[in-house]
Amino acid sequence: MARSLKKGPYIDFRLSNKVEVMNEAGKKSVIKTWSRRSMISPDFVGHTFAVHNGNKFIPVYVTENMVGHKLGEFAPTRNFRGHVAKKDKGKR
Amino acid sequence: MTKEDCYELGRITRVHGLKGELQLLFEVDDPFEYEELDSVLIEQKGQLIPFFVEQLNIQPNRIIAKFEEVDSIDKAQTLVGSKLWLTLDNLPDLDKGQFYYHDVVGYQVVDKTLGPLGTVREFASFSHQDILVMDYQGKEVLIPVINEMIGEADHDQQLLHVSLPEGLLDIYLSESSKDDGDEEEEHA
Repeated sequence: MARSLKKGPYIDFRLSNKVEVMNEAGKKSVIKTWSRRSMISPDFVGHTFAVHNGNKFIPVYVTENMVGHKLGEFAPTRNFRGHVAKKDKGKR
Repeated sequence: MTKEDCYELGRITRVHGLKGELQLLFEVDDPFEYEELDSVLIEQKGQLIPFFVEQLNIQPNRIIAKFEEVDSIDKAQTLVGSKLWLTLDNLPDLDKGQFYYHDVVGYQVVDKTLGPLGTVREFASFSHQDILVMDYQGKEVLIPVINEMIGEADHDQQLLHVSLPEGLLDIYLSESSKDDGDEEEEHA
């Protein structure tokens, strides 16, 4: 069941406080968090969060299209696979 | 033909229909650059075997291909899960300042403020963004691959210029203890 609209989105208050302080100061430090269940609010855009996946911190740079999703969605807990094979992937 | 002379294009994910068509996944930046593909190397038991493309239909959400001599679902089924490769000369040319991920593996990472750091070990692809994995002081440091952080590569000196945000290195270099006020999460 979806969360009641009456309550508004859940965002860990310590996390939102940190973002608020950084936005006021104009800083963009990495914010370390275990709060995977926090929803990404528009204030988070442009910040980098180190989201814990149970094993390590995954850096998540928040963009506009992530708003409304939970932080945990971007720090997978199972399939962390790196690749060194040559691929048609790169910085464009 | 060895894998050293090739790059990984993607893989075959499943069969499509009954006439030997296959669904492919291209792990590339722009799949539409391969619309004119006429042949591909399919990895089978460690060998790269060339297959001619009879039909290729690239759609935004899926790619359907038909290879010559693969006319039945049974033949197609044997190819499912195989990796697709192409020779390196098929790689699209890049503009100045651009690079492929595999080009910079082993390069030294140089931060704008911190100076020389570790070396690039690999790249990991997540659904939302790619991550650069750097070895630094015996630890693994993850850096999001975004224009704000990853700069240009110096191929002559094998350097990759980055601009790390404040605090990113500290997260990986310090022990992962809950010391920053988020501890209540564990008990919530």
